[in-house]
Amino acid sequence: MAKSTNRTFQFIGSSKTVRPSERLWYPAADVFQTPEGWMVKVELAGVSVEDVQIDIQGNVLTIAGTRRDKSCAAAGFSYQQLEITYSSFEKTLTFPARIEGARIEHNFEDGLLIIRLWKSEK
Amino acid sequence: MVDENIKTQAETPAPKLPEQFEIPVLPLQNTTLFPDTVVPLAVGRERSVRAVESALSTEEKLIACITTKTDNMNGDEVKFDDLFQIGTVVNVKRMMRNEGVMQLIVQGMDRFRIVDWMQDQPFLKAKVQMLPPLVVRDGEAVEALKRNIQSMIQQALALLPNIPPEVRMAVMTQNDPVQLAYFLASVLDLGVETEQKMLESESVDGLLTLTHAALARELEIMQIRSKIATEAQTEMDKSQRDYVLRQQMKAIQKELGEDETGEKAEAAQLRERLETADLPDEIRKEAERELKRMEQLPQSAPDYQVIRTYLEYVLELPWKKSSEEKLDLNEARKILDEDHYGLEDIKERILESLAVIKLRPDSKSPILLFVGPPGVGKTSLGRSIARALGREFERMSLGGMRDEAELRGHRRTYIGAMPGRIIQALRRVGVNNPVMMLDEIDKLGNDYRGDPSAALLEILDPQQNNTFRDNYLDLPFDLSKVFFIATANSLGPIPAPLRDRMEIITLSGYSDQEKLNIAKQYLIARQITENGIAEGQLEITDDAINLLTARYTREAGVRQLERTIGNLARKVALKIAEGATDKVTITAADVKGYLGGPRFFPESAREELPPGVATGMAWTEMGGEVLFIEATALPGGSGLTLTGQLGDVMKESAQAARSYLWAHAAEFGIDPDFIKHNGVHVHVPAGAIPKDGPSAGVTMASALASLYTGRKVRSDTAMTGEITLSGLVFPVGGVKEKVLAAHRAGIRRIILPAQNEPDIEDIPEDVRKELEVIPATRVSDVLAAALEKNVDDSVLEQFVLPNRDGTPDVGEPLIAKENNG
Repeated sequence: MAKSTNRTFQFIGSSKTVRPSERLWYPAADVFQTPEGWMVKVELAGVSVEDVQIDIQGNVLTIAGTRRDKSCAAAGFSYQQLEITYSSFEKTLTFPARIEGARIEHNFEDGLLIIRLWKSEK
Repeated sequence: MVDENIKTQAETPAPKLPEQFEIPVLPLQNTTLFPDTVVPLAVGRERSVRAVESALSTEEKLIACITTKTDNMNGDEVKFDDLFQIGTVVNVKRMMRNEGVMQLIVQGMDRFRIVDWMQDQPFLKAKVQMLPPLVVRDGEAVEALKRNIQSMIQQALALLPNIPPEVRMAVMTQNDPVQLAYFLASVLDLGVETEQKMLESESVDGLLTLTHAALARELEIMQIRSKIATEAQTEMDKSQRDYVLRQQMKAIQKELGEDETGEKAEAAQLRERLETADLPDEIRKEAERELKRMEQLPQSAPDYQVIRTYLEYVLELPWKKSSEEKLDLNEARKILDEDHYGLEDIKERILESLAVIKLRPDSKSPILLFVGPPGVGKTSLGRSIARALGREFERMSLGGMRDEAELRGHRRTYIGAMPGRIIQALRRVGVNNPVMMLDEIDKLGNDYRGDPSAALLEILDPQQNNTFRDNYLDLPFDLSKVFFIATANSLGPIPAPLRDRMEIITLSGYSDQEKLNIAKQYLIARQITENGIAEGQLEITDDAINLLTARYTREAGVRQLERTIGNLARKVALKIAEGATDKVTITAADVKGYLGGPRFFPESAREELPPGVATGMAWTEMGGEVLFIEATALPGGSGLTLTGQLGDVMKESAQAARSYLWAHAAEFGIDPDFIKHNGVHVHVPAGAIPKDGPSAGVTMASALASLYTGRKVRSDTAMTGEITLSGLVFPVGGVKEKVLAAHRAGIRRIILPAQNEPDIEDIPEDVRKELEVIPATRVSDVLAAALEKNVDDSVLEQFVLPNRDGTPDVGEPLIAKENNG
């Protein structure tokens, strides 16, 4: 019984196992509320600081960038296995309050991108 | 560390690819890669592997995927011209090497157009130009198409219950029409051409229109598919269910010890038997039709067993099989003599029938009816005939049968239907020419429950019975070769049409001499063996046997005699077993010691008869008997009183006798006044036994004449015969039995109707020699022979004669005159 249905399924899916484009790499993030404002941790190991762009609009924080494979440049290297995604990414975080105009500070600590937000003092 | 340099821009800078750049190219067969789809790819060709390796050695891991125009690139190197101009740049997300083949997971990025080919060795490489995003020409049309597509996807998903939920989810929530279209295009198997057309589509409107058309077509196919699948499903379910049940049934049958392949085997077996059986064409045709019906039935069908039993019956019947005749008349005579003492006429008659069969083997078998008292050997005679003919013998008792279906069978429609006794008997003997004995045909039942004699009419008619149709078989069976012998104790109860179909052979009782011989030749020897005595240990003298027949038995046959001899043999066996003696000889004097006093005191001739008593002879089913008719005058009375359980015919013959004597009183020297003034009582002992028939007429007349004349009836004389009012003597039946009985009783003078004279021939020689037979044509002949000459005055004195002063006046007896003349 299952077989016949399977056949039908395969017919429509043909022999391809295609999946809709989900974000294969959508780095994980923690968001803390602090006495001064917010702190955000993003898993972005192997990403250069220069390749990261941070943007605030209203109560939305967007982190975008690209992970580039720098080690591949060495001559004589050849991939046996590739599991780390080297591509651009875009992470969008929504806050419960407006954060536009906040003071931002970011740095890398042990492969994590730490972003701190201070409420504007006005 | 605070990064002051970070821009806070309003526009999101999507990671842009440069407008034109050089990139390794991965040719795809049969597959079109669309932007925003994730696809696994297997890369095996050398150039392709090198292209991927080259892509992986860049920071971005980008490679350009482009589809070949034709499918079959078997082994050939892909040339530039084989490829489309537009493809998709992909990002390699995962890679695994597996025995020289690269397993990739790639994600489509953006569409490109080939600007220029850079190289084809060691891998394809081209300069590409990225294409701008799709434009929307008609927003409403796009929206409409999108909704349409979404509703079709709903329908499609309803038909595909087993799609993984995440795919379902992704499709349902995908709001971007372009991404949705690309996803559908890669999921549906649309063919390279259509897919490429969709990929090259410049506007959202165009893309969606193509998608819509493809999806609509696909949905239709899916619906038909689904319908077919459902139908196949239900069909399969049903056949599967049947199969499972059948398997279970087989298991049960096996458990019950029934052959699991019995159904087929049975039918095949029957067919084999049918093919080898020797059947008439008509029967074979019918049997084959039934067999065909049976083969189409499942074993569990109720008709199956019915047909099987029927076919087995048909196959087992001896349609053509006969036992071989070994007809040697001398041999036959020897067998008949061996088995039966006496019965010369009957043996002769049987031998005549056998002779006809011998001369004309195709002649119809005779149908005989043996009539006679019990124990005279009717049944064993049938057995002897079968032995003499060398045929099978089959006996069936018809006594008490009251349903013609017992003879002719029940129709097959009835549950438990069986063929009739005739067909059953034929199956048992296995040949179609047995000697078939229909015992006790006179004891057939005949009432509201049925009349089997009607069925016998067909069975016993040689003109009809060659196509005897049993209700069960419903096929004509030839009974004409069957030698039918019926037996009966009397002819009376047999319906006339049935009697008419049979040749009647009468076996009357045996005489004492015959019984003596039978006992000596058969009975004693048989009883000795049966009781385990050695030959020579028991001897019975002739006198003793005669005593047994006369005083310890009363029968026409010899059954009781045999039992009595058996009785003696047992008592002797006891003595021998106890060791008291070795050999016993039983004489007449010993019999009383063994068996007690005599049981029967047969009506032997009385020493002297008083006037008014005459000796008659009667016929019974047990043989013959003598009986006495007693008449006495009742002074002052009148009329005629008759007692002794007399039937109407007998009463009337008494009246006729009296009337005749009265009318001819003067002729016989009778005083009419005597008749007029005295009543008469006639009694016939034994009073408990009903008697009837006209044959006592002469005896009545003699008794009355004796009473009226005072002349005694001779005590050594017995008589029989019917009288008429005009004084004639008519012939009667059963003469042989009557005479034998009279002889047993010690009578040596017999008065018979003259017309019965031929019957005297039937009487065994030894008896006949001792008898004086007086034929009579008129009553006067009887009286002349029966009455003594002297008048016994003492008798007449008792009676009142009013006209004669008490002195009886007896005229000169006319009888004397007649004697003179």
